[in-house]
Amino acid sequence: MTELLHAMAEHLVIVTLSMAVASLIGVALGVLSYWWHRAGVVIIALAEIIQTIPSLALLALLMIIFGLGDVTLAVALILYAQLPIIRNTTTALNELDSHIIDAARGMGMSRAQRLLKVEIPLSIPMIFGGIKVALVNSLSIAVMGVLIGSGGLGYIVYRGIQQRNMGRILLGAIPVVCIALLFDYLMGKVEVRLSKHTS
Amino acid sequence: MHRTLVQRALLFITIVALAAFMASCSGANTITIGSKDYSENILLAEIMAQLIEAKTDLKVNRKLNLGGTFVNFNAIQNKQIDLYPEYTGTALTAELKMEVINDPAESYRVVSEEMARRWNIIWLEPFGFNNTYTLAVTAEVQERYGLETFSDVVAIAGELVFGAEHEFFDRQDGFDGLVAHYGLTFKGEPMKLNTSLKYQAIARGEMDITDAFSTDGPIMQYDLRVLEDDKNFFPPYHAAPIIRGEVLEKHPEIAEALSLLAGTINDETMTALNYRVDVKGEPAETVASAFLSSLGLI
Repeated sequence: MTELLHAMAEHLVIVTLSMAVASLIGVALGVLSYWWHRAGVVIIALAEIIQTIPSLALLALLMIIFGLGDVTLAVALILYAQLPIIRNTTTALNELDSHIIDAARGMGMSRAQRLLKVEIPLSIPMIFGGIKVALVNSLSIAVMGVLIGSGGLGYIVYRGIQQRNMGRILLGAIPVVCIALLFDYLMGKVEVRLSKHTS
Repeated sequence: MHRTLVQRALLFITIVALAAFMASCSGANTITIGSKDYSENILLAEIMAQLIEAKTDLKVNRKLNLGGTFVNFNAIQNKQIDLYPEYTGTALTAELKMEVINDPAESYRVVSEEMARRWNIIWLEPFGFNNTYTLAVTAEVQERYGLETFSDVVAIAGELVFGAEHEFFDRQDGFDGLVAHYGLTFKGEPMKLNTSLKYQAIARGEMDITDAFSTDGPIMQYDLRVLEDDKNFFPPYHAAPIIRGEVLEKHPEIAEALSLLAGTINDETMTALNYRVDVKGEPAETVASAFLSSLGLI
């Protein structure tokens, strides 16, 4: 039981910390893509390419640079999280009502002011939706972390698979699913509240 | 309002990150043991870990179930792990990229010399068993023909159906090489089937003889008899702990503790241990400590 709780705690810490960093990077890249469309095409294409690399291959490559353990897994999770976060950020910003932006411009706001005071606040619900998708994905990708020596629920799941022990597989997999559903539900609620707030 | 929220979040992240970092920093008297991602290797690592914990003052950090040879070998080269169980045949072909050597002693000598020279990785004394390819038959076939060695099969091969997984037919050290080396002619076309189905097929009598890894748990499950490769066709895969030279210099007591395991695990013992973990589903930790206490080591 303590083994399971310990593994769950590790799993959660790695995933939430990675997603905090991933959100900062993803939103920044999303804004960059919004301001500068040409860069945006390249950024999204790169994020899409990253998405197609099988997770074990990406982990093995990153391990050569970052070594064994949690850091490598965190970097992989951050990379995989980029596509949903960047895409939602740029889409949200691009779809803003142009009248509002014109009004902000008319009030004499600079580009940075418009972004921080008008555009980002209005886009928050959709950006948050992107982060939600990334986080729920990361919870399951993090299971692979065991193969590069990171903690979390992966060890329990992999031992179960190797021993063909269904009970042990489920012991590791059910918490992953429950945590994912819980996050999906809670963040969905926040998302609804945010979009009520902004519309 | 917004700023304080962001500040608080950043503070929180910093604290958690620091805590995680400090927790992951290992003390000077800790060694890290790795293992590959299958039961036998995990079990060997666990046995070594428990023995080191019992016989030395060192703390052991377990990084078991790392993905395969590539990950373990990179990790030991990059000082991420200090020690893990490796096989001579694997080291020779996958790590040193050298030709296969059939003589077990020569193979061990070459890998230990080359790896010490190239990467300062030291081979300790082998556990004893050789997890290589072999041929297995059912107890009934073995008794009917009185089979002991591969050479015994030659005379009656025409009466036996051979079957193996697809990979065995593609490998250099597989089917073609085997039949040529011993001059074997089996009955009809060999059966090619999935690894997991292979043991069931021979147990049901759909085929008579198959390849196997000499320490596979199912050998025991289906009461199969393993034959002796008397003309040394299959290259040897003797398992031994390998350790970083720097760590060994600092903690020679590790070699002293692990030398207690030298030659204690023969093929049958390893098969029995694998059987308990793979077929019976017992945890590796339990099987490891039971084994060590049966030797009177813990």
